[in-house]
Amino acid sequence: MSQTREDPDRALMARIEARDADALAALYDRYGGRLLGLAQRILGRGGEAEEVLQEVFLFAWKSAATFDPSRGTVRTWLLIATRSRSIDRLRSRRSSSRPEVRSLEEVAVNPAAPDDVEASSSDREWETLCRAAVGDLPDDQRRALELAYFEGLTHQEIAARTATPLGTVKTRVRLGLMKLRERMRPYLGSGSDAS
Amino acid sequence: MPHSERHEELVAAMALGVQLDDADRSELDRHLAEGCARCEALLLELREASTALAAQAPAVRPPDALRARILSSLGPARVPAKPESPVFARMLAAAAVLLLLIVSMDDARLRRQREELRSQSAELASRLQSAESALAERTLRARVLESDDVQMLMLGGKGPQPDASGRVFWSPKARRGVIVAANLAPLPSDRQYELWVFQKGKPVSAGVFDVDPQGRALFESTQFPEAEAQNFAVTIEPRGGVPAPTGPIVLVGNPAA
Repeated sequence: MSQTREDPDRALMARIEARDADALAALYDRYGGRLLGLAQRILGRGGEAEEVLQEVFLFAWKSAATFDPSRGTVRTWLLIATRSRSIDRLRSRRSSSRPEVRSLEEVAVNPAAPDDVEASSSDREWETLCRAAVGDLPDDQRRALELAYFEGLTHQEIAARTATPLGTVKTRVRLGLMKLRERMRPYLGSGSDAS
Repeated sequence: MPHSERHEELVAAMALGVQLDDADRSELDRHLAEGCARCEALLLELREASTALAAQAPAVRPPDALRARILSSLGPARVPAKPESPVFARMLAAAAVLLLLIVSMDDARLRRQREELRSQSAELASRLQSAESALAERTLRARVLESDDVQMLMLGGKGPQPDASGRVFWSPKARRGVIVAANLAPLPSDRQYELWVFQKGKPVSAGVFDVDPQGRALFESTQFPEAEAQNFAVTIEPRGGVPAPTGPIVLVGNPAA
């Protein structure tokens, strides 16, 4: 995994495993803004997104030992932890039939001031590649992926939401993700090296 | 079942974190359990690729107070201890152990599930802390799973019960261990299974346990010897156990595992 070998994240994870709080602070400074942005996109700007962020870093603190670099990058590990916790909360909101707190407004009025957030050049490169990769997807594939990723919808729910046959939705999700994989090749880990 | 586009569809959904219905989920589990290397690799790559979507959400600057709050909540010593219902603690501990059990029931589910399990157990512990149920957390941590020295050994069936399988998770520091086992035969009421820890080549009893009607067992032992455990075995013994093994060995660890 040549990509991550140069990655300072792995050294951070090792220090975190050894209970070095400065290392966790460094991880937070690197990814906190990115992860909070993701949680807010899913949950809106209320306190819940911040709670998710707190949970994720506590998780990183306590479970650094479970991070396996051969199975993905630290960034992916953190993003998945953030996304899944956010979606869990979103789903429990729905099932408790509380009104949808997250309004379009909340989502749209999250103007991010990206300049306000310090990002290393490697993070910027990653972000640029991600944006381009998603931007180049056919609209229907991108839409299906976004509904799944940010709203936690199932295949069936996406089909209903977009008035599309179920089989087509499944195909769109698969093809869309496959295309992202091709574009994200430079960031893929051992899987691509091995195969 | 050979690899197909259908499996890729399921793998894509899983990588993206889309909830699958039970039928799809078990189909995918089965396929991965059969050891489809293509799908394993694809799953990792697609998970990595799915994070491209995350970058669509712009990064935001977290409030300074949040950073301080998170960093000050890290040390276990700094977590305020709140009295919490022992029942709650036991339920949570049981939930964590149940995760172990579920996974260990199906040896074929391989690495992927073990890893999920590890992170789920750890995650459960982390959720405990975020709920500030310090007692529950301490209990769980004390109970092997969260020990920083936790070790695992696979046990294989032997003698009269070749299909039996099991795993022992133990913490030498805590002198505790958990055995989860499957495919053990139900025993007559005057017999029990007995777990043995080998230290310096000699078996020391770690307690007796029963199995459920499906032949599964989950047993937590607090009788681990202080010395480093070298191996484990399970024998059939008279109910209540005996000080040294007399019955047939049905499960034994493979030191090479």
